[in-house]
Amino acid sequence: MGRFFTFIGEVSSFGLKALVDAFRPPFEWEFFVAQIEEIGWRSLPLILAAGFALGVVLSMHTRGTLVQFGAEALIPSLQSASFFNELGPLITALLVAGRVGAGIGAGIANMRVTEQIDAIESLSVDSFKMLVVTRIVACILILPMLTLFMDFASMAGGFLAEYFASHISLQLYLDRAFKTVEWANFIPPTLKTSVFGFIIGTVSGYFGYTTDEGSQGVQRAATNSVVLSSLLIILADVVLVKAIFFLFPRNAV
Amino acid sequence: MSDPAAVEFDHVFKTFGNRKVLDDVSFKISEGEALCIMGRSGTGKSTTLRLMIGLLKPDSGRVCIGSEDIVHSSEKDLSRLRRHMGFLFQSAALLDSFTLEDNLALPLRRLDKSKSPSEIKRAVDETLERVGLDLDIAKMPSELSGGMRKRAGLARALVLHPKLLLIDEPSSGLDRITASEIDDLLLTVKKEYRATLVIVTHDVRGARRVGDRIVVLDQGRLIGFGTATELDKSDHEIVRRLVSES
Repeated sequence: MGRFFTFIGEVSSFGLKALVDAFRPPFEWEFFVAQIEEIGWRSLPLILAAGFALGVVLSMHTRGTLVQFGAEALIPSLQSASFFNELGPLITALLVAGRVGAGIGAGIANMRVTEQIDAIESLSVDSFKMLVVTRIVACILILPMLTLFMDFASMAGGFLAEYFASHISLQLYLDRAFKTVEWANFIPPTLKTSVFGFIIGTVSGYFGYTTDEGSQGVQRAATNSVVLSSLLIILADVVLVKAIFFLFPRNAV
Repeated sequence: MSDPAAVEFDHVFKTFGNRKVLDDVSFKISEGEALCIMGRSGTGKSTTLRLMIGLLKPDSGRVCIGSEDIVHSSEKDLSRLRRHMGFLFQSAALLDSFTLEDNLALPLRRLDKSKSPSEIKRAVDETLERVGLDLDIAKMPSELSGGMRKRAGLARALVLHPKLLLIDEPSSGLDRITASEIDDLLLTVKKEYRATLVIVTHDVRGARRVGDRIVVLDQGRLIGFGTATELDKSDHEIVRRLVSES
């Protein structure tokens, strides 16, 4: 138990140091932009495909039940409420944890075992800022944007499924989908993914940067990054949803 | 008053956990000298190099570069000193997401802010030409053979025209001909740059050819220090066996 709390303390101070260093010059813009491309742009196809498929599937599942009660008109609003409030942010974070978390963990660990980090340090370059801070900040900024893409891809999937089932027009679908959506339903859940991004970047960066066990360490860093990031995202989600309900009581109704 | 040594280790101790890696090690390297550090695996040779460039700090003792004790140097002072140092890592340690050109440009961009982009490009071209890799400038490290990677690592270490060049096992993993080519390059660098070379190696032939003097470490202790001819006559059997060509 003591080791667990030591570990949590180390990861937390690692993440806090990264946040402080993010505001301390010199800024590693070149590496930051490269991470935006790697984490954001290259995750986009996965996010769009997953969002679209989940939108189709959720629509198909809910239709069967709602039709029995004559409530198929609620399908678009159910779809938007589900994705904007919870599914979009959470699934985006879990997908990014899988794709990017493993990449960050293994990539930095590989640089450690092949002496690349020592080479960077020997040039008096702060390897922590160059490799870890840029990735954490990129994750924090990119996650909300990817969530938006996930949300709208799912709406597109949902509309397509509904169109083939009931020939609903796009205008009517959008009217019904956004009728019950308020900014408070949309902004806080989207922004909470910045916390998920912080978790992914910090946990993966920690496992990669602190490895010292050769190729086995690389493998372990990749696995641990995904497992612990995913677990912490789910746990953090519970806390964040409660916090959003507290700050925006109408969301809880 | 005599000139300060290029490098001085003064009663240096270093442990990792319970393992004593360097145990009261002292020696001096003169400017322009090529010193080879030999010893069995795990005797603190690479740690010695890392202490010289400030990647590690000793538990006690002084590590001086020129007249400056780097143990208590600030990061800014270390950065200034590193401007005159080059390090060839055992695995070459080229940044694998960078092209060869960017790998060489990085030290210039970070440690020599006075250079314009065109001057940086020219310095990179010249250094790569020196090590025979001028046609491979746009390649990624993964596209290079082991020997080419070593030469590229050496080029990165040389690009700032260092006064002190630290080299970790230049011939490891290379065939004898390629290793000999690397030794030729080191001899050229020593002559043309008038640099001080510190080379960690297991290659006796290379050490006798390139090194002016040899340090022998065993279990963290310095057990031999002198020219190859002097060490051939050492009382210590490990020293004689390590520096013997036969």
